[in-house]
Amino acid sequence: MRAYVYTDKGLERYAGRFVWLSINTEDAANAPFLKRYPIPVLPTLLVLDAKRNDVLLRYVGGATVPQLQTMLADSERKHRSGAEAVADRLLREADALESKGDHAAAAKSYDSAIANAPKRWPRLGRASEGLLFALSVANEIEPCATRALALYPRVKGTVSAANVAASGLGCATGLDKSNAKRMEMIGALEKATREVLDDPKIKVAADDRSSLYITLIDAADATGEDEAAVALRLEWVAFLEASAAAAKTPEQRAVYDSHRIGAYLDLQTPEKAIPMLEQSERDFPDDYNPPARLALAYKAMKKYDEALAASDRAMAKSYGPRKLSVLTTRADIFAARGDAKAARDTIAQAIDYARSLPEGQRSERRIAALEKRLAEM
Amino acid sequence: MKRLLLASAIALLAVQARAALPFVENDYVKASALASKKNVPLFVEAWAPW
Repeated sequence: MRAYVYTDKGLERYAGRFVWLSINTEDAANAPFLKRYPIPVLPTLLVLDAKRNDVLLRYVGGATVPQLQTMLADSERKHRSGAEAVADRLLREADALESKGDHAAAAKSYDSAIANAPKRWPRLGRASEGLLFALSVANEIEPCATRALALYPRVKGTVSAANVAASGLGCATGLDKSNAKRMEMIGALEKATREVLDDPKIKVAADDRSSLYITLIDAADATGEDEAAVALRLEWVAFLEASAAAAKTPEQRAVYDSHRIGAYLDLQTPEKAIPMLEQSERDFPDDYNPPARLALAYKAMKKYDEALAASDRAMAKSYGPRKLSVLTTRADIFAARGDAKAARDTIAQAIDYARSLPEGQRSERRIAALEKRLAEM
Repeated sequence: MKRLLLASAIALLAVQARAALPFVENDYVKASALASKKNVPLFVEAWAPW
């Protein structure tokens, strides 16, 4: 959104009508905010009523300019007027519950909002996306897939169809293989996701389109559709490379780096990632992401000295919870080149670092996973 | 699903080009006080440079 959305002139008219706050979740200074408003997925957009201490709107994921304009107009209307329809009140309550991390209660409230929605309710898409996100985070994956199937025809042809189809497919793929409905649901949701990808009228952001490919590839892998998975991977890479080539600024081109490194690693062609990451490291010398990704690519190429050199550069620039990923990759590099002691020491260093993070950034689950890994080394 | 969420998350890059909107950076207390004073909603983007 930073490279493509917030710079759009179509948002200028809202500039003085809101106060705009950017929260970098890696920055320790924001830990008190994160304790108050847990943010499990990035990006998350919130609109708050600062005076009444109320959540007016919450949206998980990237939004297009038209989506954001609609959300801003909705939020302004709620902020100005206490009066609201039942479905709107339930949606606001669901957003507030989700902001507290109460996903199960939020899902119920989103569902009630949808059940009370008037005909042609303009917020059906956002409520549907919120419902499926809350169900998936609450690990209610069968209801998530079932509700996605029911809601998809109602949001078909809109931008929300992308998240509804893909969230549902992700949930269906995660179902136990013994579930009798699993394959049927995967098939129907694969068809819906493909329909979104192939519909030129749906203006999905390019990085979200990439996420649709990832979901389809995961589903094909999970159901043993090997040929389809290979074809999808090749189509995905071609799409990413075309999008990066069409970028108008280094910032826009770099948006695709994370997706492209994932694709090249998946296709076992990590060497293809090197030139773009070297370019990004030159374009953004203070950003830890290019060297962190170079470390991954060189590790996959078994060039461990180059991988450690890139890891050194990433270590010097990284901060916040993300540093844990840099450290675990570093441990993987040591382990791959046979230096078990250095790998153990690095995981121990990661545990110390994870414990040192302030509340709001510290993850007990992450610490437990690191401790388990160390015990097994 | 996890990969989808991760992909959504990693789609963000730390870039500075946001000329259209005057963002307050990493200061909830200041932004909240400003929104109360101006009596306008407070828009928050939670993101990370990865």
